Amino acid sequence: MSAMPIVLPSNRDENWRYANLRGLARARFEPAPAPEATQLGDIAGRLPAALPGYARLVLVDGHHVAALSTALPDVNITHDVDAQEKSGADQRFANLNRRFRQGTCRIAVPAQAALALEVLCVATASSHPALDITLGDGAKLQLIERQLSARGDDSTLVNLHLAARVGEHAQFELARIGHHGAKAQALDTLELQLDVGASMKLVQVIEGALASRSTAFVEHVGREASLEWYVAALGEGTQHHDAFVHVTHAAPGARTLQCFRGIATGRSRVAFNGHMRVEAAALGTQTDQSLKCLLAGAEAEADVRPQLEIYTDAVKASHGATVGKLDADMLFYLLSRSIPPATAESLLKWAFVSDVLAKLPSPELRSQVAAALERQLPGAATRAWS
Amino acid sequence: MLVIKDLHAKVGDRKVLDGLNLEVPAGEVHAIMGPNGSGKSTLAYTLAGRPGYEVTAGSVSYQGRDLLALAPEERAQAGLFLGFQYPVEIPGVNNVYLLKAALNAARKHRGEAEVDAFEFLTLVREKMKVMQMDEAFLSRGVNEGFSGGEKKRNEILQMLVLEPSLALLDETDSGLDIDALKVVANGVNTLRSPTRAIVLVTHYQRLLDYIQPDRVHVLARGRIIRSGGPELARELEARGYDWVLNEAA
Ligand SMILES: Nc1ncnc2c1ncn2[C@@H]1O[C@H](COP(=O)(O)OP(=O)(O)OP(=O)(O)O)[C@@H](O)[C@H]1O
Ligand SMILES: [Mg+2]
Repeated sequence: MSAMPIVLPSNRDENWRYANLRGLARARFEPAPAPEATQLGDIAGRLPAALPGYARLVLVDGHHVAALSTALPDVNITHDVDAQEKSGADQRFANLNRRFRQGTCRIAVPAQAALALEVLCVATASSHPALDITLGDGAKLQLIERQLSARGDDSTLVNLHLAARVGEHAQFELARIGHHGAKAQALDTLELQLDVGASMKLVQVIEGALASRSTAFVEHVGREASLEWYVAALGEGTQHHDAFVHVTHAAPGARTLQCFRGIATGRSRVAFNGHMRVEAAALGTQTDQSLKCLLAGAEAEADVRPQLEIYTDAVKASHGATVGKLDADMLFYLLSRSIPPATAESLLKWAFVSDVLAKLPSPELRSQVAAALERQLPGAATRAWS
Repeated sequence: MLVIKDLHAKVGDRKVLDGLNLEVPAGEVHAIMGPNGSGKSTLAYTLAGRPGYEVTAGSVSYQGRDLLALAPEERAQAGLFLGFQYPVEIPGVNNVYLLKAALNAARKHRGEAEVDAFEFLTLVREKMKVMQMDEAFLSRGVNEGFSGGEKKRNEILQMLVLEPSLALLDETDSGLDIDALKVVANGVNTLRSPTRAIVLVTHYQRLLDYIQPDRVHVLARGRIIRSGGPELARELEARGYDWVLNEAA
């Protein structure tokens, strides 16, 4: 099986124009072996403090580590290779995950049940974490998925696949945080389906990693499903963060709200492409996109693209996309109040992404994320919420 | 406290200040009046160091130091406060956070420790009482969605918390209802002391009924063309600017 050639997308492929795929040509995709028992103490010491109310699941290089995880009846690890590879450039990383994954983490929340779970994916080398999630009718899942590099400077490669089916009137809250090392490559593919009246809220914070690419496909399968999608991306140095989200509205009365806030500092590049497809059957659909990027470096680049593909008239679609600089009047106002320029800039950047950060669940998670952002936004992050 | 000599300043390509002279000693309150577009806000911004306001000639000495050599935040840390004619809205930055960060930056500059949370809240509550502001304003974004008058009160609240040595208040009275005018005037009066100076830019004599100025100046065509006591303001109110402009021409 591993003899099959590895085919990656290229910048010529539609939807991949802004991705940084350069570092991947020489990458090693073969997954690292399961961690030795002797390594676990060290890994445990690197994990963030437990979040009150959340059970915990730890994957190291994609291998489930029972010793560091909460045992839960709703969570099972399976090793069946049932995952069919799919065709198309958008599926290539997902296919690599299907080929290399070390078991699939199946999270099934029964009808009307509730679960709050934090999944920590630790990477020491290459890993292909796989999460397969189902929410029964009326179920509620609060999931926090975090990526950690075992060492800060590690050139790790993470290629995650997350699939979820959200049952009728079920509620899925997904928070995704990347705490990647400076040289990390971070890839992920999400495939989500929403049944009748289901609601999903995603809050994602992208920072760290040399290059990241998030690819998501969401489908409103049942009528009157609602989707909220909040993403903040902070690029610095020569980092490159690219996200592509494709939402298909296939049933009537669908609601999608998308909010992206990106900051490109230094020579970094930040891109977000939000594609909304509204099919003929999706009468009365409402979509709202607010995509904003802040350019905070002379050589930084930003690209935000809302895309609409609409096959019915009975739809309300609004979108705004802006790329701008820090507001000079706001900056001067802060300086005139004694605040040093570096802190003033941090504060305004913080304010810029706060629309997204404020949506993070759990105050403890918010302060952990704030602490992680303190390096990029000195003087702003940890204080703004204190 | 403040000595301005022959100040010339440009905004963009436009020469606005054209040989302005002004002295404000410690302990005094001065009012600057003048027609729209005469350069009052330009003077205030130039003193505060706003980017884009370029001094082409002249000097400004503040507490014996060369004010123009300081960066905007250093001027503020050195005790200069600008009350904006149009206070800026900063969504996402908490009002109370700004107050605390500003106070701590100034304290740090003076070599003092950061204010502790309890002490700070006590101080802010006391000043909010003076300004008759509801505490709900603390948790809102800086000036975000504030009414015109609320923004002006908020400026004075900041001033009271920061206790500057020199306050430049640019039309702090504009847009205030009659009661709010009294509240703001009272706030300004509590700051009066022999070691501080206050410069009020205003269009209305009314404010000066509540804050007695030591001197009144008329700024027109980029300079101070006339100075006098409080009676000058009353005369301007009664007669307008034409006669001063004619006499100065
Ligand atoms: N950025 C700018 N570019 C060009 N001209 C400017 C700029 N900013 C200010 N000016 C001009 O400079 C002049 C002085 O403006 P300033 O705001 O200082 O007047 P002011 O005395 O405060 O007036 P008001 O009483 O209306 O507040 C005006 O004619 C104004 O149009
Ligand atoms: Mg003005």
